Amino acid sequence: MGKTMIGAMAVGAATFATAAPAQQTVLDLWTIDDPGEYHYVLAEEYMAAHPDVQINVRTVQFGDMVNDLARAMATGDAPDITYIDNPEVAMFAQRGLLLDLGPQIAASDIVHTDDIFPGPLASVSLDGGIYGLPRGANTIAVYYNADMFRAAGLDLDAPPRTWDAFYDAAKTLTRPDDNIYGLAFSAIATEEGTFQFLPWIQMTGADFDDVNTEGAVRALTLWKRFIDEGIASRDTLIRSQWDSTGTFNAGSAAMAISGPWELPRMRGEADFDVRAFALPVPQEGAPRASALGEGDNVILKSTDQPDAAFAFLEFMYAQMDRVWNEFGYLPASDVTVKDPQYPEIYAVFEDSMRAARNRGPSANWPQISQAIQGAIQQALTGQATPEEALARAQDRIDRIIR
Amino acid sequence: MLKFTNTFRDGIGFDTVLVVMALGYLVVFSAYPLAYNLLMSFQSVDLFTLTSFDRPFVGLDNYREVLSRPETAMIFWNTVKFVGLSVLAQLCVGFALALFFQLDFPAATWLRGLFLAGWIMPALVVGAVWSWVLAGDFGVLNHMLRQIGVIRENIFWLSDPDVALYSVIIANIWLGVPFNMILLSVGLAGIPKDVYEAASMDGAGRVQQFFTITLPMMRAQLGAVISLGVIFTLQQFDLFAALTQGGPSNASNVFQYWSWQLAFQNYEIGLGSVVSVLMIGFVIAVAFIYVRSTRYEQES
Repeated sequence: MGKTMIGAMAVGAATFATAAPAQQTVLDLWTIDDPGEYHYVLAEEYMAAHPDVQINVRTVQFGDMVNDLARAMATGDAPDITYIDNPEVAMFAQRGLLLDLGPQIAASDIVHTDDIFPGPLASVSLDGGIYGLPRGANTIAVYYNADMFRAAGLDLDAPPRTWDAFYDAAKTLTRPDDNIYGLAFSAIATEEGTFQFLPWIQMTGADFDDVNTEGAVRALTLWKRFIDEGIASRDTLIRSQWDSTGTFNAGSAAMAISGPWELPRMRGEADFDVRAFALPVPQEGAPRASALGEGDNVILKSTDQPDAAFAFLEFMYAQMDRVWNEFGYLPASDVTVKDPQYPEIYAVFEDSMRAARNRGPSANWPQISQAIQGAIQQALTGQATPEEALARAQDRIDRIIR
Repeated sequence: MLKFTNTFRDGIGFDTVLVVMALGYLVVFSAYPLAYNLLMSFQSVDLFTLTSFDRPFVGLDNYREVLSRPETAMIFWNTVKFVGLSVLAQLCVGFALALFFQLDFPAATWLRGLFLAGWIMPALVVGAVWSWVLAGDFGVLNHMLRQIGVIRENIFWLSDPDVALYSVIIANIWLGVPFNMILLSVGLAGIPKDVYEAASMDGAGRVQQFFTITLPMMRAQLGAVISLGVIFTLQQFDLFAALTQGGPSNASNVFQYWSWQLAFQNYEIGLGSVVSVLMIGFVIAVAFIYVRSTRYEQES
């Protein structure tokens, strides 16, 4: 019965396509979403409201997106609109492959760049142009197991705010005899490792192009102590954020650094009181920083429908107040979310979002990120001291940028 | 017309078609990619220039860059260790099992069939299973070793830089043993029984028979199995992807995985090509030995 239905629908769709009026606008959209998620849902809604527009959505695996896009652009098969992870926007923009939305935004009643948070705005800005609109954002914070906090005699209402306090709390929470680690995070040699590490050095004034500083050494030394002293598992070096947080959900770690995407699974798995606090700072009064995740909707320069494509981008941007409750990201612009789910944790993430900083921008982001991951892993495995590892990374980054 | 169909059916025409088809296949699917890869190793290539031939030539810069990277020496020695230890252990265990199943005991053929299970499974699946076995905090192996009192602290098989490479080697040995066993079993079955009978009448013991009959008679098979083992081990990619991703900090990285990382994760495609060109050179040397050993087999 199911098959017949699909067959009938396919025939119906084919008939509809051929019978459609000649002025039908067709937009190709690439996304990392699966059916039922953000782009599919919004494309359906937009087509229902605008019967003259047909949006063909295609799913591309997250890890394949850059490869597939580059190939499609080279062969002239590129879509009109696509999703790109935020650190990679600069790479495409610098090669002149993305449409500068500046003029269209200036004429728009819906998009005002002043409303977009500085981190997400920086990720789409390059040399005065704006090359995309964030669909949402995410960032990281520290989840903690309130039951374990209580049992260890820590103050639930005053979670640690500085690195020293954070280290002490993690140490206190570590119970090797019960196989419980104080902290779970990810120092894996992928983009996720950079994503987790960069805010720690940004708080000290360092950044992706300036990693060989005293503050960055201090940050990496702190991470090294977490591993060396058994506060976090050695497997932190090979675990993704999702896997690390899995150990927190299972009660094998008292705290976990990760983002809001964990919440649905956490609700099902964690049978304890979960709370969250913002990433601690090096010392009282130091500037805050947090990671900036999620990606952007961009229009490719090769499109023959720039206006129709921008109209759809505007529509998606206007749904920013729905992204938390329906799709699991944070708003990337100043909107009011009514009745947010997990209100206390939402408040922590929303506050961290204001401190979220961009990775890059750099047209060679993948190589720079790789140099940073290398430094983290060399220091944590003991192949190099934090000073040596960061000096080496700086050397490579200098050559990449030059 | 008749003449044409005749040459095609029983003359030179048919031969030509066959040769052209085989040669065409080789040129399109083997020679062209090899040459293209070699070309790219002398060019500055990124994702966006991948489809055009018009790319800046950089001479030997890519080779210099790869050879001057601090991680190159470590990855080279890892590759040597990975190939050497894997092939040696696969061969020894495979040969021992082949000899064992050569003995006549109930269900010998059955059991031998069961050993093939490992060979049938995709390496990615094998990798996923081994990653559960070898996991640091919740792994099966650590649990067992702790229970029987061998270790007190968990060994971090996949994230300790001193053991990560050996963990992948262990998984790879397990994966390669059935192939070695089957090929060597075939060779053993080919040795005539009466040679052994004559030897035992002359009073040669088991060990003597092994060194004077089995080993010399298996020379061709052993050569082939070793060369194929080296080539398969150099192709082993899935286990690295599933177990360690070459980490931590390249402690378990090998050339074949590094080449992919350079080309498709860092988008330094020219450098990835250099690594694969270096590997091709090595594989050609091994293939040469393989061809020599199978030629010996045909002559004998």
